Amino acid sequence: MSARVGALCGHFEDIEQQRGAERLGMWMFLATEILFFAGVFLAYTVYRLWYPKDFAAVSSLLNVTIAGINSVFLLTSSMTITFAIRACQTGNNAALRKLLLATALLGAAFMALKAYEYATDYHEGLVPWSNNFGHETLHGHDKPMLDVWEHDGVSPDRVKIFLFFYYSMTGIHGIHLIIGIGVVLYLYVRAVRKTLTPDKYVALETTSLYWHLVDAIWLFIMPLLYLAGPHTVHQLGF
Amino acid sequence: MSTDYGHTAKSGASLDHHDSHPHGHAPSYLHDGYGWRSWLFTVDHKRIGIMYLVMILAFFLVGGVLAGLVRFNLVSPTGALVDNDTYNKLFTAHGVVMLFFVLIPSIPGVMGNFFVPIMIGAKDMAFPKLNLASWYVWMAGSGFAVWAILAGGIDTGWTLYPPYSSRSSHSNVVPGAMGVFVAGFSSIMTGLNIIITVHRMRAPGMTWGRLPLFIWATYATSLIQVLATPVLAIAVFLLMIETATGWTGNPVGIFDPAIGGDPILFQHLFWFYSHPAVYIMILPGMGVISEILTCFSRKNIFGYQAIAWSSVGIAVVGFIVWAHHMFVAGISYYAALLFSLLSMLVAVPSAIKVFNWTSTLYRGSITFQAPMVFALGFMVLFTIGGVTGLFLATLGTDIHLHDTYFVVAHFHFVMVGGMVLAFMAALHFWWPKMTGVMYSDFWSRTAAITIIIGYILTFMPQFYLGYHGMPRRYPNYPPEFRVFNVLSTAGYTVQLAGFLMSASYLLVSLFNGKKAGPNPWGATGLEWAIPSPPITHNFDKTPVVVAAPYEYSLNLTQTGEKADVR
Amino acid sequence: MILQTTIFPEQATEMAWHIDLLFWFITIVTTAVSLGIYAAVFGFCVVYRRKEGEAVQTPRIVGSHRLELLWTIAPLAVFLVMFAWGAWVYNMAMHAPDDVPEVYVVGKQWMWKVQYPGGQRVILGANSADYAKDIGGEAQFEGVMVLPVGKPVKVIVTSEDVIHDFGIPAFRSKIDAVPGRYVTTWYKPTKTGEYHIFCDQYCGTNHSLMVGKVRVVEQAEYEAWLEGTYKTGPGKNSVDGSLAHQGRQLFMKLNCIQCHNGEAPRAPLLEDVHKSLRPFKGGTTAFADENYLRESIRKPRAKVREGWDPIMPAYGTTGDNALSEDDLVKVIAYIKSLRKGETPNLTQNWVPPIGSDTGPAAEDAKTPAGPKSAAEEKK
Repeated sequence: MSARVGALCGHFEDIEQQRGAERLGMWMFLATEILFFAGVFLAYTVYRLWYPKDFAAVSSLLNVTIAGINSVFLLTSSMTITFAIRACQTGNNAALRKLLLATALLGAAFMALKAYEYATDYHEGLVPWSNNFGHETLHGHDKPMLDVWEHDGVSPDRVKIFLFFYYSMTGIHGIHLIIGIGVVLYLYVRAVRKTLTPDKYVALETTSLYWHLVDAIWLFIMPLLYLAGPHTVHQLGF
Repeated sequence: MSTDYGHTAKSGASLDHHDSHPHGHAPSYLHDGYGWRSWLFTVDHKRIGIMYLVMILAFFLVGGVLAGLVRFNLVSPTGALVDNDTYNKLFTAHGVVMLFFVLIPSIPGVMGNFFVPIMIGAKDMAFPKLNLASWYVWMAGSGFAVWAILAGGIDTGWTLYPPYSSRSSHSNVVPGAMGVFVAGFSSIMTGLNIIITVHRMRAPGMTWGRLPLFIWATYATSLIQVLATPVLAIAVFLLMIETATGWTGNPVGIFDPAIGGDPILFQHLFWFYSHPAVYIMILPGMGVISEILTCFSRKNIFGYQAIAWSSVGIAVVGFIVWAHHMFVAGISYYAALLFSLLSMLVAVPSAIKVFNWTSTLYRGSITFQAPMVFALGFMVLFTIGGVTGLFLATLGTDIHLHDTYFVVAHFHFVMVGGMVLAFMAALHFWWPKMTGVMYSDFWSRTAAITIIIGYILTFMPQFYLGYHGMPRRYPNYPPEFRVFNVLSTAGYTVQLAGFLMSASYLLVSLFNGKKAGPNPWGATGLEWAIPSPPITHNFDKTPVVVAAPYEYSLNLTQTGEKADVR
Repeated sequence: MILQTTIFPEQATEMAWHIDLLFWFITIVTTAVSLGIYAAVFGFCVVYRRKEGEAVQTPRIVGSHRLELLWTIAPLAVFLVMFAWGAWVYNMAMHAPDDVPEVYVVGKQWMWKVQYPGGQRVILGANSADYAKDIGGEAQFEGVMVLPVGKPVKVIVTSEDVIHDFGIPAFRSKIDAVPGRYVTTWYKPTKTGEYHIFCDQYCGTNHSLMVGKVRVVEQAEYEAWLEGTYKTGPGKNSVDGSLAHQGRQLFMKLNCIQCHNGEAPRAPLLEDVHKSLRPFKGGTTAFADENYLRESIRKPRAKVREGWDPIMPAYGTTGDNALSEDDLVKVIAYIKSLRKGETPNLTQNWVPPIGSDTGPAAEDAKTPAGPKSAAEEKK
């Protein structure tokens, strides 16, 4: 940015114009993200309408506990980042730093738990392109999942389609979250260096809009994927 | 006809406090810093526009060479140059390069970036750094595409349909698709920038109703870029994952019929973007035509509201017609009915524009410099392209014409006869403003006519071929189609001559061209009220707009000065 | 013989005439309007060109609501006529009349396998790169699909691998061959002659070699060709070589009869299935067309009939119980032909077709085993 007058960039006439542009820009960007996810949500919905029984069967095998804890993490992080905006606006740098760090850490906790979840998915034979797909015996059953599905009339092929959606949707979401964590950490560094001053709160506001969107997308992904089938007490254990 | 390019005339150049000789005044954007760093790290929208221009021309050259190889191979029914596999890779590369690396970024990336801020009276785009980033992202995308080509090519066609692309092709589908994916982000960034700029950075007095039609067109284009491109991104992303799982030995994919997936779903997701994409390609060109026809007939545009709203109408309705690419793909009869009907609706705004442009010429005072020749060529060729679209939107005839050379001819008419000609028109119109020099009037008009004639010779025979059933993407064909294929290839050489001519005189002008003043064409837009080339911040003082665009009949520029009417 | 090309391509079916009429209507209308526009544009350019030394003063004309209305409504009206006419033609082209002989076409890279109801098989395409040398001549495997003039025929198309398209320009027909489903179209050839068949959806290296010819002949010549290609006997389900009979063979050989019989049924009888409404467990129903039959065989647990258990094994393209696309088409043809009371008895042997080698296969059939499930196989 050139020719700074406080937070004002040189090509803008006044600060109001700049803030208006930044906010509108972020909302437009969110529109693109919504359309991006809409494509895969639509595809998922089509297949879920075609293969409800198979999707319900494999959805019941997903770890709804981890998903629940992760949802709490993200919702809380949305709260902390909102409070961070206020802290920035009022010049409370100590609170700003803590809240930004908390947001980033909650996001990181989500990713850590997700990584753990992916690892257990692999060990449970729920990775459709791996060689041990369906060969594990999971909680609540007495034979490998492929046999259970055979018995229940669930098609392993359609299970693979569900899992493809599971990994691609949570994977894309995870990538978006990692980018968000990166931006929040960058803002944290600026807060530490005291260059995130009250007149530059709009940067934080636009970041929080992005963060809320990532959270909102998770709130759609979670029920679609994890709650498509019945869950029993058996899946509460890790 | 007067060829004084307004160097001495001062009327209409009220904001021209600096001429292009920097004697202690602010330097032009070309001279504001030298060296590769000042270009590669610039945030000046004009320099970024020039960087886009250089790369667009480079990619156009690559795409044109690929086209030549395709056409020359088709001279013989058994393939004159290359084997089938190589041919398939050539036409795929031609499509990918021309669509994603030339047509889509062309006018928005070059003239959009350069002129949108100036035409609305702003100092730069809303997000200059995002603008620079969009260029780099585009380059990154092209890096992937080049990698795919150098690694042996990709042979799926630019449409990437599974299951062929994911399970059967075994060519460089992932890097090729990655190139498209990444380039898409550049398109989104440019579109977003333009939308915010037009919304928030208009100069005082520049109301929506006074915006030049080029801005309306580019704005509508940007809406499509922002909303449609993400859907291509997800389609291509899912395809890439599906293809990659094939490498593990346990292929999984949602488009793979072997496990209950549906390849038609990919087609829906793909065309949901790719149909609006063709409107991304043509709308900016239509905006340019409005600018040029008014200037070179010295008349108001006929039906400003109609043309402005039709741009928005094309953008909106363009989103709901995608399945007209799939009438024989296995969609239901009722879906086909719906999409055919909607496709008829989207044809109406384009027709409205053509009628309005024609009426603009009525009782004008018309001159025929190169921009006008290109614009008139656009009128002829785009009309043919547009009406041949009707054959394809009509269900009965589409059965016969789908996937034949009729389709190839149709889309080349709108994309080359339409968009490329519009790009050339824009380039020739704004060249003096961007570079500060003027090119040869004689050679530019000759080149324009050559290109138009070459174009007609290349693509008219293809309508015949398509109606007779010659399928597209065929390196081998029955011998009775040979004559028309040879004619078509002959046309290519004529076009090639025309484009080389253009490249030559434009290049020569950079070294030897007459210096151009601020308003060589005597046009009314804000961009003609500043020096040629402009200073970095475009305007010394924020301009105040008092008039609608195109008030040639009143001899009035948008800032209230006399238009330089010669 | 392939006729020389002229301005108008061959019209070899009823549909071709309809489509051509529509095509020329659109051509004439659009050409007329385009020429009008060109006349205006170039007329204005000539009349209103700037003359040397003339003062430049143009009238300030900004528009006309009346004209805008006119050239919005008039084109829309014309386009809607095109739409309606096109939809009517499309409806005719896509919806085959009832009770029309069915020919199955299976596309695969890079050939078409055409199977007639009487069991005749033709391979189109499979042209090697050598074909490129003598294109237009008699290339190695370029088969010819023969059809009788004046008789409608329905074509049911699918693909074994990627998306292809079965296109016959002289018939003005094309339909995508999509793997995993059947799509249908139909023709009634009206003119004898030989016409191109092309693959009209890009499918890889030899997409342009996946071509053949269709020869339309008089009825007598058609019957002679059928006999010459593959001799059949009278009727269906009796010992003849038809597609339905070959399907019956497979029905017995693959042990479908073990469950789908009348004496000790473990599965519904398959009589009069085609075009009926099937009720399923869970309350849904479906209309039984080729795609339903295909799914029931390939993935039987997807839709289970009300009142029956999900015990049918899947017949995929690989593994145990493998059933190729060509054979699946035969089984489907058989089921479609099965009328009330025609289900074979459990004890009826698998009878080999005329002229086939009655070797070990016949031995197999004498001791019918139960259907094998994947789980049982593992034990």
